[in-house]
Amino acid sequence: EPVLSKGNNCLDAAKACNLNDTCKRFRSAYITPCTSSTSNEICNKRKCHKALRLFFDKVPPKHSYGMLFCSCRDVACTERRRQTIVPVCSYEDREKPNCLNLQESCKKNYICRSRLADFFTNCQPESRSVSSCLKENYADCLLAYSGLIGTVMTPNYIDSSSLSVAPWCDCSNSGNDIDECRKFLNFFQDNTCLKNAIQAFGNGTDVNVW
Amino acid sequence: KGRRNQKGKNRGCVLTAIHLNVTDLDLGYETKEELIFRYCSGSCDAVETTYDKILKNLTRKKKLVNDKVRQACCRPTAFDDDLSFLDDNLVYHILKKHSAKRCGC
Repeated sequence: EPVLSKGNNCLDAAKACNLNDTCKRFRSAYITPCTSSTSNEICNKRKCHKALRLFFDKVPPKHSYGMLFCSCRDVACTERRRQTIVPVCSYEDREKPNCLNLQESCKKNYICRSRLADFFTNCQPESRSVSSCLKENYADCLLAYSGLIGTVMTPNYIDSSSLSVAPWCDCSNSGNDIDECRKFLNFFQDNTCLKNAIQAFGNGTDVNVW
Repeated sequence: KGRRNQKGKNRGCVLTAIHLNVTDLDLGYETKEELIFRYCSGSCDAVETTYDKILKNLTRKKKLVNDKVRQACCRPTAFDDDLSFLDDNLVYHILKKHSAKRCGC
């Protein structure tokens, strides 16, 4: 293996996107608002989220999932994967809210509420099933997960060494609700159904579904 | 209607696509991403308007001080959608009006 890695699946997916007119157009359409700073903010988060939702709505999964769920062997690849949603604008915030508070603000929004419900339904882990998913349908789980991107519950990969994901929140200051909060956060961070679904897409092992 | 006329008279001026690395553009970006670059090329010799005809005639008769009056040239009349890419330092860039969508004289 050369020190400077020459290519990876995430790079290949980005190349494929820019060679496809639809993917290229909707990619630029979210990169633009997600990287344009306003007078006192890094970006207009609302516009960035809207354009991200449009990207995942309009671009065929082959391309959109290709960039979001690409399989990686090195940090150059995982860092590129982490940057797919432009996290500095769409994900990170000055403060990390408590996850249960974030869930409350999500429930006040029609899109966020329904997409979060889809996620909890379609990515429900079940240790006794072959797929590790109660619903036994990876495509539905990935659709529900990617549907959260562009809501206040926007999830992203939390480190460069695993497929662990989380929304921008933690469980500090949970008081008596600490168990409920951890359960919520773990559904993202430590979800074998979701991890298997991402892995299956990245490896192309579950080809029938896409 | 104008475009059809141009197309008919100037078959030489056409849109051509070429698959490139972003670094081939020599715009100073360090990235491994790629793009389809489309450009306009071909001649616009066929006389377009009476104006062009007059200019040609005057040039031939050397009635113009400056003999090199610009003839119609083959240029983009519309540009392709923006292109975005992530560079090797994980910074996003966007190229606008970098690639042709339609050509005309």
